[in-house]
Amino acid sequence: MASEEIEIEIGVDGRVTVRTKGIKGEACRDYAAAVAKIIGRIETSEPTAELYETPDVVRRVIDIHNRR
Amino acid sequence: MSTVLIVAPVVIANWSVISAAVAAGVAAAGFTTVAHTAARVGQELQSDRAMTREEIDIPDSEILEGAAATGETVVAEKDGVRAVFSRDARGALKVCMEGSGVSKSELRRLGEELIGRVTQQYVYHRLVSELAARNVNIIDEQVTADQAVKIRVRSW
Repeated sequence: MASEEIEIEIGVDGRVTVRTKGIKGEACRDYAAAVAKIIGRIETSEPTAELYETPDVVRRVIDIHNRR
Repeated sequence: MSTVLIVAPVVIANWSVISAAVAAGVAAAGFTTVAHTAARVGQELQSDRAMTREEIDIPDSEILEGAAATGETVVAEKDGVRAVFSRDARGALKVCMEGSGVSKSELRRLGEELIGRVTQQYVYHRLVSELAARNVNIIDEQVTADQAVKIRVRSW
C-alpha cells in the first residue's frame, strides 16, 4: 500500500499549500482540512483522482463477500 | 496525485509569540533587529521629517491582549530602511516602513516581503508545535530553492 502522507508547503509570502498523497476517498480531504484548520482558512480546494478512489478497507470487504 | 488546499494564514497569538516570529522573519530577510521601547521610537520618528514612510496592516492578524502587547515594538533595519512592527488600536499587527531616498512603492514592497517572512515563521512554528501536541510524526523538513518550507507528515 502506498505511503499515506500530507505535505505542507509554506511559501515566503506566508501562503500555505496542503497536499495529501496516497490517501484515498474522503479521508484525504479530512486530513488536509485538519491541517488547514491549524493554520488559517481554506481559500481553494482542488480534489483530484484519489478523492474518488475507493479506500482499501472497502475493497477488502468486497473481496471477503465474493469468496463466500 | 493528491488533494490540494490553498490556505490563507490567520495570525492570532500573544505578543511574545508574534515578536519571536517577527524577529525570525526579519532576520530571514536580511534585516537586523534593533531593540527599542515605544517611547524612544516615537521620538525618533518625529525628529526625522525627511524620511519617507509607509504603513502596512497585516490582514487576518490579531495580537491578543496582555501587558506585553501595549506599546511594544520590534524594530529592524537594513540598508538605511527601518521596519517597526507593533500592535494597532484594533489589535492587529502592523508594520511602519521608513527610509530616506526610498520611494513609497519600494518601502511597500519591502514591507510586504517582511510580512510574508514573518507569517512564514509564525505558521511554521505554530504548525510544528500543534503537530507535536497531536503526536504526529514529521517525516521530513526542507527549505526549497525559492525559500519555501516543506514539511511532510504521516497521516494519523
